[in-house]
Amino acid sequence: MKLTVNGEPRQVAEDWQDETLLTVLREHFGLTGSRFSCGIGQCGACLVHIEGAPVSSCLVPIKDVADKSVLTIEGLAAEDGSLHPLQQAWLDANVPQCGYCQSGQIMQALALLQRNPDPDDTDIDTAMSGNLCRCGTYDRIRASIKTAAVVMKEIG
Amino acid sequence: MAILSRRSFLTATGVVAGGLTAVYLFRQRAAAVSPTFIFPDNETSATWVQIRPDGSCRMYFPRMDMGQNANTGLAQIVAEELNLAVSEIDGVMPSTSDVPPFAVTAGSMSLTAFSRPVAVAAANLRESLRQRAADKLGKPMDTILDDVGGFRTAENQVLSYRELVDGNGAVIDFDEDKGLPVLYTFDSSRLKRQVGKSAQPLGMQALVTGAPVFAGDVPMDDVLYGRAVLPPVRNARMATVSTAGVQQVKGFVALVEQSEFVGVVCKTPSAVDAAMAKIQVTWDLQQPINQQEIDRMVDVDAAMAEGDLEHVLVDEAHRPDANWGIDLRFDVQVQSHAAQEARVAIARFNDTDDGPKLEIWTGTQDPFAIKRFASMDTGMSEDDVVVYPQRLGGGFGGREHYEVERDAVRLARAVNRPVKVQWTRPDEFMASRSRPASSHRVRISVDEAGNLQDWWHGYVTGHVVMSRERLPNWLLPIARLGGDFGVTKGALSPYEAAHQRIECKDVDLPIDLGVWRSLNCGPAVFARESAMDELAVGLGVDPVDFKISQMSDDWPRLSNCLRQVRKLSEKRALPVGAGYGRGYACGTYDGRCYVAISADVHVDVATQQIKVLHLCCAQDVGMAVNPDQLRAQMESNLSWSIGMALVERFEVADNTIQSSNFDNYAIPRMSDMPSVDTLVIDQPDIPPAGAGEVPLIAGPAAIANAIRNACGYRALRLPISFADTQRA
Ligand code: FES
Ligand code: FES
Repeated sequence: MKLTVNGEPRQVAEDWQDETLLTVLREHFGLTGSRFSCGIGQCGACLVHIEGAPVSSCLVPIKDVADKSVLTIEGLAAEDGSLHPLQQAWLDANVPQCGYCQSGQIMQALALLQRNPDPDDTDIDTAMSGNLCRCGTYDRIRASIKTAAVVMKEIG
Repeated sequence: MAILSRRSFLTATGVVAGGLTAVYLFRQRAAAVSPTFIFPDNETSATWVQIRPDGSCRMYFPRMDMGQNANTGLAQIVAEELNLAVSEIDGVMPSTSDVPPFAVTAGSMSLTAFSRPVAVAAANLRESLRQRAADKLGKPMDTILDDVGGFRTAENQVLSYRELVDGNGAVIDFDEDKGLPVLYTFDSSRLKRQVGKSAQPLGMQALVTGAPVFAGDVPMDDVLYGRAVLPPVRNARMATVSTAGVQQVKGFVALVEQSEFVGVVCKTPSAVDAAMAKIQVTWDLQQPINQQEIDRMVDVDAAMAEGDLEHVLVDEAHRPDANWGIDLRFDVQVQSHAAQEARVAIARFNDTDDGPKLEIWTGTQDPFAIKRFASMDTGMSEDDVVVYPQRLGGGFGGREHYEVERDAVRLARAVNRPVKVQWTRPDEFMASRSRPASSHRVRISVDEAGNLQDWWHGYVTGHVVMSRERLPNWLLPIARLGGDFGVTKGALSPYEAAHQRIECKDVDLPIDLGVWRSLNCGPAVFARESAMDELAVGLGVDPVDFKISQMSDDWPRLSNCLRQVRKLSEKRALPVGAGYGRGYACGTYDGRCYVAISADVHVDVATQQIKVLHLCCAQDVGMAVNPDQLRAQMESNLSWSIGMALVERFEVADNTIQSSNFDNYAIPRMSDMPSVDTLVIDQPDIPPAGAGEVPLIAGPAAIANAIRNACGYRALRLPISFADTQRA
């Protein structure tokens, strides 16, 4: 069984084919940026994009992503290491506290900006309310999405 | 008491590989059971800062990172003392073998207790280096001036730190008689370069790129996966255990059964889930677990009817029969930590020539307690156990105990392979050492001029710090004699009344209890500030003016916070119309931290919801070492205030904990979080105090008072629902 993760082809070994996508990413591929928190699609810590759409990877059997393409937080920065505008905005505003939820937050924000390059507060609240942050970084997330939206429009 | 040379300790652990480290004699302290209460002094802090052979500064962080970023503040202090930039400091999270034991990261003590010792350590290093520079140049000490990353002379001869150290490890011995060097951090006449600036927290880049930082991210060869059954409460005993079918699960490796312990090891996480689903355990409980039992135990009126409560904290000319203008009862429910990380520990046993060694990777607030407990649990010497602490995905008081680590250790030992244990979300809720429920009776009388005369606050709560099973059974009654500072926190009132009585009682609730952000301070201040607000409403006076007028002169910083937050809130008009309200509350934490909050709310009949529209917060915790991170902690506490006031409902019923995941224990989400205005009141002359839990003490009362202002409903019970406000 194979799939593409962050542009690279990956093989899923026999022993790992009954796992969730999240488990395979973390434990089999060593891509630990997507994180386990609730396991039932209620928090967004494990959020990745499958074929461009945001999905809670804790809910997805790995078999369902055979031959599909997955994007995780590790695939967001450019090849030269320069950060995606969302990551940069996050960094500039010191958004993360404990940081556990933040990969999922950034991936959800990316999906939002891809759909809606110019979101207002209500759009942001609606799009982001499935991503929990116990540390309460919501106000900074909101501001950083707007910052990133401006940058992304500038660079096209 | 044994006296050990720290020099030998350091040499043995390889800390002093070269360069220069300040080293002092250290006395090995008697190990407390839990938590680790070894607060730093000028001696213990010395090993945390060193100049490496290449002249760089290495800092072993003495705090566990869980979002409060205290180490960044401490690194700013080191940078200030050594004339470096924070980014030049190479910060390392030490293992328990790298440095002498340090205290549990809790109670917002990090800057309070650590800032000065860290400054002393760095300043001592600086002065030793200055001495070396003087010797090298053959000039008197006082001609060697500070320069960035080193020194210079009046003739502009420059010597960097690098030129003053070499590859031979050297230590400086502490000489008490010499007195302390000047501490730049605490010299208020000095223009600061690092302290007081909003330095970017260390490690941010890793968090936005998904780099490995948490215990679950640690790569481990040859690892297996495991989990153990958790009890509904820790004093439950296993009655029956059935493991039929576990061995048949695909990927099964081992079933581990010990006294009061049953766990599995498998090849993959899903196999662990499947195996655990086959294990059935029934429990013998010592107490029924249900809400009625909790309500009965914390019933303050029943307790006060029996006479004095167990602990009388203030008793000044008390008049039980005063003419009570306010006589209200407030009830606060249980809350769970619900940190976003589902905790993980990895344990590995290694056979060495010196016998077996145990390594543990975990996110914990108290790595030295984990080491002690692992040693007790395995019978191994403490010297043979090392804990590698990792960043925590949220702590909030809930990550101090040897629990997930215990599971990993026992399972790894049984299979002689590294084992990783990740708790499920239901495990997290089940094992939460929650904030206890409490109930409060607040009675106030005023004279004709409307000034406070009598103050009587009685409350009953579950234990907080001295909770059951935190200490061994034999020690618990003795320890409790000394009082539970978690229970009494926040009880003292800043309001002046000639007649005062404050009393409380702490009880063992049927669920596990422990330290939860702000301890008892949140519930106690909610009761006090709600009662004062109600009194102001009754008297027809402005609540902010009224509170300030009733404070004694001892509280200038608190009254200043109130004034400042009012100014802040008045910048924004409250929308006109039915159901809009604004409320205020204030409080002190630990006598060192002051905060006031305003809340704007909408009790919206159309949507049947209570919405917090805006929050303002003014906070004074002394010197603002890193203003941006103070703001971040304020924002976090405001989110928790909404959780406590409106959102979080911990459910127990049918002898178990019903809250099991975020679908049945809601926490605040983006749509609950309003815009916020925060004001950091800087006091450069006052040593910094911790700020991790301060606004949470006043936020819930501010929201409750805003609801009172919006629709006339006085909240007597948290959390508040829209339906509550509609009851006559
Ligand atoms: S872990 Fe997948 S949504 Fe929470
Ligand atoms: S930053 Fe800690 S959960 Fe979001």
